Amino acid sequence: MSLWIELAVSGLITGGIYAVVALGLNLQYGLMRIMNISHGEFLMLGAYLTWLAYTVLAVNPLVFLPAVAVLMFLVGLAVHRVCFRPIARRAPSVEAFEARSLLVGFGLMFLVQNAAYLAWGADLRGYSFLDDPVEFAGVRFTENRLVVFGFAVAASLAMIAVLRYTLIGKAVRAMMQSPSGAQLVGVDTAVLHPVVFGAGLALAAVAGALLSMVYEVSPSMGEPYTVTALIVITLGGLGSAVGCLVGGLLLGLVESFGMHFATPSLKMLLSYGVFIAVLLARPKGLFAR
Amino acid sequence: MTLRRIVAATVIASLAIATFPWLLSDFALSLALTCVMYAGLTVSWAMFSGATNYLSLATAAFFGIGAYVTAWGLGTLPYAVLVPAGGLLAAAFAALIGAAILHLRGAYFAVLTFGLGELVRHAITYFEKTYAHTVGRVLTDTPESVTVFLTVLVVAAAAVVTAFAVRASRFGLALAGIGSDESRAETLGVNARRVKIAGFALSAFFAGALGAAMAVRWTYIEPNSVFNPFIGFQTVLIAMVGGASTIVGPLAASVVFSLLTEFLRLQFPYLFLMLLGVLLILLVLYLPGGLASIWPLLRARFARGDARA
Amino acid sequence: MPDTVIATRDVSVRFGGLVAVDHVTLDIAERELVGVIGPNGAGKTTFFHALSGFIQPTAGRLIVAGDDLTGRPAHVFARHGVARTFQTPRVFREMTAAENVRFGLEFAGRGRTHAHDVFASAGSILDFLDLGSFADLPAGELTPAKQRLLEIGMALGARPRVLLLDEVAAGLTEAEVESTAALIRRVRDELGLAVIWIEHAVRVLMRFVERVVVLHQGRKIADGAPDAVARDPEVIEAYLGEAVV
Repeated sequence: MSLWIELAVSGLITGGIYAVVALGLNLQYGLMRIMNISHGEFLMLGAYLTWLAYTVLAVNPLVFLPAVAVLMFLVGLAVHRVCFRPIARRAPSVEAFEARSLLVGFGLMFLVQNAAYLAWGADLRGYSFLDDPVEFAGVRFTENRLVVFGFAVAASLAMIAVLRYTLIGKAVRAMMQSPSGAQLVGVDTAVLHPVVFGAGLALAAVAGALLSMVYEVSPSMGEPYTVTALIVITLGGLGSAVGCLVGGLLLGLVESFGMHFATPSLKMLLSYGVFIAVLLARPKGLFAR
Repeated sequence: MTLRRIVAATVIASLAIATFPWLLSDFALSLALTCVMYAGLTVSWAMFSGATNYLSLATAAFFGIGAYVTAWGLGTLPYAVLVPAGGLLAAAFAALIGAAILHLRGAYFAVLTFGLGELVRHAITYFEKTYAHTVGRVLTDTPESVTVFLTVLVVAAAAVVTAFAVRASRFGLALAGIGSDESRAETLGVNARRVKIAGFALSAFFAGALGAAMAVRWTYIEPNSVFNPFIGFQTVLIAMVGGASTIVGPLAASVVFSLLTEFLRLQFPYLFLMLLGVLLILLVLYLPGGLASIWPLLRARFARGDARA
Repeated sequence: MPDTVIATRDVSVRFGGLVAVDHVTLDIAERELVGVIGPNGAGKTTFFHALSGFIQPTAGRLIVAGDDLTGRPAHVFARHGVARTFQTPRVFREMTAAENVRFGLEFAGRGRTHAHDVFASAGSILDFLDLGSFADLPAGELTPAKQRLLEIGMALGARPRVLLLDEVAAGLTEAEVESTAALIRRVRDELGLAVIWIEHAVRVLMRFVERVVVLHQGRKIADGAPDAVARDPEVIEAYLGEAVV
């Protein structure tokens, strides 16, 4: 019995991270059709910044979380302005815009990842934080993993609340459903798009910061999360924040159990399998409207 | 230029290049080999992704699959059989994946093909560990470097000829229609799904064959070295620099870039890759048609000049 | 009794809560020239999308020349002889006008025979439409009016049995509308196709077609000869404020 609980909690913890990362990508693609393939690199940056803050400045990672979020939000504003807005201006069609954003994202990925290699080298880095074991439902976990789960879920719920209850959140959802209609009632894309893009990157960075508390960081750590984020978005339905949370948690659970009963190295095969299965059964995702 | 003339030109150029093993030093030959390999990779990538705008980031996966066919088969089967076999396995894999994901939007397709490299790498690592009880493989009994060069040349030349032939054919017209306006093309009778899968598989065939051919250059093969994302990135970059909707563009660009890469990558690996990343971004933002698009612009500029004079 | 070339049985299209097409039953016979009119939002273009397989209907059946094609993708409809134009011209911008027309000939039109010589090549189709001189120009460089004509050419390239024309006269001068209408009449008379024509220029349409179908809020509210339809009180009410004839 305790094996099941251990697997379940482990899966939920991973799933919580997936949810946060996916939320970021969901905002960017759902609103602006920007499939930011370098999304994972900003997760990596969040992890490194937190590691730096802890090892160099002795700042508590949890305390540093909001700083990471704000910092990467600003980076996101800049990246959108420099890399993606010019494409929106010149692209002849939505398809061309998507294709070009993908390529720019691809270039960005190489740029950021290799900058990290240059700055910090390829060795794994890490720090220990809250790694005393605690007991939870009869199973032992390190404290940090439970904290990470808590914060991940809190961040997701906060984002869901923002989208549902605040004016800006409603503007974002309105734009996702009907771009022209929203503009007619005065929602300004010139402001909204960079802000949402920045929020997306901030979410990725927060996920990275949380991950750094538990795992080691390396320049290539972010890549797999981009693909996973896409799988979660497909599971939960594009445009649905709740779908991201539930989809992320579900995927984490499936991976956790699957890896145990099959084999850990086939984790990706498992996620791809889930992806294809969901696509076949419910092409619009589990939660699509 | 008719197809006949183009094929003739390609054959003649290939024959000329085929003399390199006897004319060049070992180092220069190795350089030439890289150029020829990228020529084949980029032209076959552009054949599908350049035409349809479905950006495949799976080149590394197909290349690696081909490489492993050689790794497994060397000694049992002749090299000349392994190369097309690598291509066929890669093509079959592409067809399977394509059937599952090609009906999705281009953006989804791109990200998923991006993950394929990792996926295949993990799968092969697992397979090797569990069934072959090994991490990497030592390749013995490898063919001579002359054979390798000529084989890669043949595959690349075949890719170029195929690219031209496809472009002139009905199949190529369908691919172009899909790239221009997919649902419109369907209303005119194109079975987009089938065409895309076929194009994707065809492009994967050459990547796989090149991987199978190049594998013997490593004496020790393991998943991490063979499934190198840089190959995929370099392929896309070169095709974009040259102009993804042309054939000549990627060919020319692959020569320039292979040379650049060989010299700079080993000296300043990370800086070089960062610069390439910046290059791709700038290219997409300011010259999405690649260098090949400059030529018609120049011609147009001169034509207008003449008219005024 | 001429054969039915395309028929719908109780076809409905819903988008979430919105019913765009509401249980429309329609039979079009060979060589019929039918106009489809209706106020904005009546569901005309959506009906065309269903009729050509471009979208799948939520309910009902679509029968083309005796074959039930409900739920099949657009290219199957095209290969059975259903060709269409789009309200905003969707030409392949980088290809030449001739290549655009050739496109249909190579795919939907391939394997379909048609008695008339016009369908022999892209050139003859372009000449029929008076676009011969534009054959080698990139389609994206044509004026919108010419692009509309090119769309008809692309549809003809598919060697269809039935041609669906979606507002080909929008934005044209009166003289241009007249000549477009005359061209449509020629397409039916000389080429022997059935034509279904959506149009806002109702006045002109009424003079050229033999049968008018009126859609309102997704439902078919009238179907008959132009004069009868023009006098139908329900039609007049639907067009409240607009002159019908």
